[in-house]
Amino acid sequence: MTADALSLVCNLGVLDSLSEASISEILESWNSFCLITETIVKGDDADLSSSYSKFQSYVSSLCKYGLRSLVEEHFLISLQDMLEKHVAPKFWKNFDAYSNVTDLEENDKDMHEDEVELLLCKALEEISLEKQYQEKYLLMLVKSLQLCQDSTSMEGHPSDVEKFFFSKYHLIISSVLMTTLPRQFPEVLHWYFKGRLEELSTIMAGNYEDSESQDRIGMELYGKGKHPTQFGNMDIDGSYDQKEILENKLVRNIGMVVHNLRSLGFTSMTEDAYASAIFLLLKAKVFDLAGDDYRSSVLESIKEWIQAVPLQFLHALLDYLGDSISYLSPSSMKSPLASSPSSCYPGASKPSEGIIRWQLRLEYFAYETLQDLRIAKLFEIIVDYPDSAPAIEDLKQCLEYTGQHSKLVDSFISALQYRLLTAGASTNDILHQYVSTIKALRTIDPAGVFLEAVGEPIREYLRGRKDTIKCIVTMLTDGTGGNNNGPGNSGDSLLEELNRDEENQETAGLDDDINIDDKQAWIDVQRWEPDPVEADPLKGSRYRRKVDVLGMIVGIIGSKDQLVNEYRVMLAEKLLNKTDYDIDTEIRTLELLKIHFGENSMQKCEIMLNDLIDSKRTNTNVKATINQLSQTGAESQEHEVSFDILDATIISSNFWPPIQDEVVNIPEPVDQLLSDYAKRYHEIKTPRKLLWKKNLGTVKLELEFEDRTLQFTVTPVHASIIMQFQDQTSWNSKNLAAAIGVPVDTLQRRISFWISKGIIAESSGEDSNDHVYTLVDSMADGGKTGINNEELVADDDAERSVASVEDQLRKEMTVYEKFIVGMLKNFGSMALDRIHNTLKMFCVSDPTYDKSLQQLQFFLSGLVAEEKLELRDGMYFLKK
Amino acid sequence: MRCFQELKILFVIYRWHAVVSWTWDAHDETCGICRMAFDGCCPYYKLPGDDCPLIWGACNHAFHLHCIMKWVNSQIPQAHCPMCRRE
Ligand SMILES: [Zn+2]
Ligand SMILES: [Zn+2]
Ligand SMILES: [Zn+2]
Repeated sequence: MTADALSLVCNLGVLDSLSEASISEILESWNSFCLITETIVKGDDADLSSSYSKFQSYVSSLCKYGLRSLVEEHFLISLQDMLEKHVAPKFWKNFDAYSNVTDLEENDKDMHEDEVELLLCKALEEISLEKQYQEKYLLMLVKSLQLCQDSTSMEGHPSDVEKFFFSKYHLIISSVLMTTLPRQFPEVLHWYFKGRLEELSTIMAGNYEDSESQDRIGMELYGKGKHPTQFGNMDIDGSYDQKEILENKLVRNIGMVVHNLRSLGFTSMTEDAYASAIFLLLKAKVFDLAGDDYRSSVLESIKEWIQAVPLQFLHALLDYLGDSISYLSPSSMKSPLASSPSSCYPGASKPSEGIIRWQLRLEYFAYETLQDLRIAKLFEIIVDYPDSAPAIEDLKQCLEYTGQHSKLVDSFISALQYRLLTAGASTNDILHQYVSTIKALRTIDPAGVFLEAVGEPIREYLRGRKDTIKCIVTMLTDGTGGNNNGPGNSGDSLLEELNRDEENQETAGLDDDINIDDKQAWIDVQRWEPDPVEADPLKGSRYRRKVDVLGMIVGIIGSKDQLVNEYRVMLAEKLLNKTDYDIDTEIRTLELLKIHFGENSMQKCEIMLNDLIDSKRTNTNVKATINQLSQTGAESQEHEVSFDILDATIISSNFWPPIQDEVVNIPEPVDQLLSDYAKRYHEIKTPRKLLWKKNLGTVKLELEFEDRTLQFTVTPVHASIIMQFQDQTSWNSKNLAAAIGVPVDTLQRRISFWISKGIIAESSGEDSNDHVYTLVDSMADGGKTGINNEELVADDDAERSVASVEDQLRKEMTVYEKFIVGMLKNFGSMALDRIHNTLKMFCVSDPTYDKSLQQLQFFLSGLVAEEKLELRDGMYFLKK
Repeated sequence: MRCFQELKILFVIYRWHAVVSWTWDAHDETCGICRMAFDGCCPYYKLPGDDCPLIWGACNHAFHLHCIMKWVNSQIPQAHCPMCRRE
């Protein structure tokens, strides 16, 4: 075999010139060289120095004949052979136990991590020793070759030769290991680093907490003593030193492992392994810190932790390996933070580019992880707003960093569809979540671009609900009844709150009005950024517009007029049911509404309130002058009723919503009072006169039984009914209805209040349609005794003083119903806007169709509720 | 209002808060000048009632005070009722 090799390399001419003696010398030297090489490489040569001199002589003799390259090649092949046959298999055999990766993960991790650590260290030590031997042998060859160099003078500088061989050798060892690599080895490395990092993290956590308690922040901690070089000059308590030593030992051990791995050619695999371990640890840390607590900010702690654990580890590791400056491909790409003074190494050596890059990678990963975590829980976070403001603030910062706002939009919209926009949720809850969403997201999205996208499904859904406007008005104006869910806001209407926010913003703006132009210009420049991609170009082109919470609420309905209308109806209802003239809260609300909707829109409401103020004055005036008269003149009043019990609210009916006018015969003495009152008014206010709305107002009355007293606040009709029973304790329904002057069905509806209170008993009369009502004389069956002072209020939704906006709208829209039905008959199905446009096109006169899309939608939803129409996938059908 | 009866139940109304609307005691409903309802207010003033009173001319035609004032001022030197041309 050796002869064959020889003939391949040497050309025939040379062969011819060789003497017999030379040939035999070559053959002898070659055979001896091969033998001794084998002995050396095997490592079982007892006397290396004597072998070396023989080895050297064979080498020089072969070189003499120009066979140097053959010598080199053979030696390297021998080394490689050794590596392939013995060293590598021995090394990999260590990891045979882990060949089944999945099994391992199911087992006890801690145990395996410890095992892995010991095993890896041992295996690396062994193979490194082998490598050192082989390098020694290689050096022998190099030395021998250098000795014959002078005579042949074919190679360059001696150290170059050495370098050449060593790099060749390193290539061999790493390619041998790579080609024989078992597939579990990267996993083994990963476990190793994971285990070490967790250990390190625990040690650091101790430091970290210490530093917290000593009011030192993470950055300072870093600067203070984490560098092995600064280790000695600290005078901190022993336990700290202890940790320091422990930590340094650990880092050195890891460093050794990394060093060994790299020298075997596993540079990138090693880096991948500790990188993935670091990211895994970071992810766990983010989950751990963030948790389900939305009431505190965690971003800073995460960043501090990144500084305190992984970055310190990396810094120490790179320091140990001696390449913290040059390591990690000195790319020309400067990271944005590299020049920033915010780097966290005050006084300490400037961080390497590699570390900065690591910091950026880790921070980005942390931001993204936290962001995903928060986005997944955004619905809950918003339910918890404003208590969850810290979580929102974190999310904002994360999104600014990652720019993944669209993730938020998509995920939140689907959460809304799934959790909120369902039949089970009350309109009030949906509205409150909507408002909270606006408030919360405007921090993240001051321009309101994403809010637009997120809010639209909610608005769309609310438009299909009949009580939406009412709920909105209540939420805006009513601080007592609404379920304001922010703490400290109880009793505050949303309008009040919005106003306060606005005032705060204004005063904040006034603080520094010097150079406001320059400053604003500067801020504008700083803040400028293009509209996010999600923005509809038509809607979002106004940069930095402020999110207008009220505007977004009005946006649900479509126009502020409808809202104002609804408010007017609710206000009228409230005012007409007042038992006094106290309207302070209503005045305040009106002032706020005027600010937001303009004085003109609120003019009618203002007149309504003004009526109350006037009424109070006039009422006092009228009553005072009547009392004077009655004292001086007519003593012979047959009733004991005095004007003291009567008050009146005098309204300018043109400015009030349509009033439900109903005839009712009120008790005679009260009726007399009313006409006296009107007469007196006419005397004072000629040429103005009064027209009573006898069915409206409130009556407070008391029923004194033998054993107790009951007080009620009821409508005039209720009062008239019960007063009929003072002279006659039993009535049939026809007669009673006639006495009161109301239809029988009205009577039956109203009297049910007294029946439910147990004051009146109902029994069927002679005629099946007739009912007999009897005053219950004692409450023997009730079992209650003593005086009952509880004030019972008769409130019945069916008994409104004012026609509701829906009633008004329904009345106005009914004319179009036949058009709509006709259209649907022709077209089968139509979408909302198509119906709207068709009505606009064809109903141009008598009466002109002048309703908004939202009004039409409300009307149609009424028809759907009445089962006249059907709504499927946004299309209206005739119900069959 | 107290009333004893055989069942010894005493009915007492101790507060009656009534609702009433006021109106001008005029023959017409709307002002001949601005065509607005008398019970509303003229285009020049925002509050109805005492703040936007009516005035009757010798011919017994009624107008918003503010409306007739404006009319009279525009008709110098001689002002007539815009409805019947009487002075
Ligand atoms: Zn007028
Ligand atoms: Zn006027
Ligand atoms: Zn006239």
